Amino acid sequence: MIEKFEKINSTSQKAKELALSGAEPWTVVTAQEQTAGYGKDESVWFSPKGGLYFSIILPKSQIEDLQTLTILAAFVISKILKDEFNLEPLIKLPNDVLINQKKVAGILTENIIGKELKASIIGIGLNTNAESFPKDLENITTSLKMELGKEVDNEKIMDQIIKGLKDQLKTISQ
Amino acid sequence: METKITIKDKSYRIEISEIEANLIKVVLDGQEYLFSQNEFQELFLVDPKTKTSQADKELQVLSADLAAKEIRSPIAGVISNVSVQKGDQVKPGQKVLTLIAMKMENEIIAETSGTVKEIRVKENQFINSGDLLILLK
Repeated sequence: MIEKFEKINSTSQKAKELALSGAEPWTVVTAQEQTAGYGKDESVWFSPKGGLYFSIILPKSQIEDLQTLTILAAFVISKILKDEFNLEPLIKLPNDVLINQKKVAGILTENIIGKELKASIIGIGLNTNAESFPKDLENITTSLKMELGKEVDNEKIMDQIIKGLKDQLKTISQ
Repeated sequence: METKITIKDKSYRIEISEIEANLIKVVLDGQEYLFSQNEFQELFLVDPKTKTSQADKELQVLSADLAAKEIRSPIAGVISNVSVQKGDQVKPGQKVLTLIAMKMENEIIAETSGTVKEIRVKENQFINSGDLLILLK
């Protein structure tokens, strides 16, 4: 199940709401643009049109497995960038993927915990088709389009990442 | 559910039944074992001696009500943000603080409604699993 939005405050925020109101695991929330995208420590994730922003409701898992999955998500993204686009990504554990020392993707796993684990969301921001970044970000951020000189297919990349995560979670939770 | 398994030529008769919510009885060749599930969906063995009578259970519910006014951390980590202040009214499901643990951000939510009586932790403080974070009244 994929919930698509043109513009949203944050895909993770929406995914959290859906998870708490009983949405199924592996429900995906994606938006063409986020007005309040965020990373760890409530840092801003600049999310203009053209990028790939999505969040996945994860199945309830052991907390250690969720931690491993966060790290494996960086691996899954890096592998796609290498295999599909011949790029040389570098993983900056646990949350970021860099190309030529500039951030191209960020991952944030959030858990909601009461007396027990209520919901887990993994949010992924991948700078795919952005053509430029604001001054304060241009030296530390890049996009696939800027690296490759051509547009990439957001939907195809998202499907590959989701499939990769499903495969990895199967392996670690066995 | 009853089944038979064979391990190294020896066969065992296994009967599995859910005798009450979150308590599974497994009978293995006449020997009974009880299992329960923790918050991370891990099964653990329950000692039948600790299994309590209905009256004890009612007492436990009462003390659980008292315990529900305490918000404790289920995991170890560092407090990154406290979202409530002393005197605030909280509702079930409301975020009270954020804890960075195991490379993830964990929103700790209130399970019951109440007024924040005491906040026992500060931002950037390391806390252990089970530590008291917030007291409601």
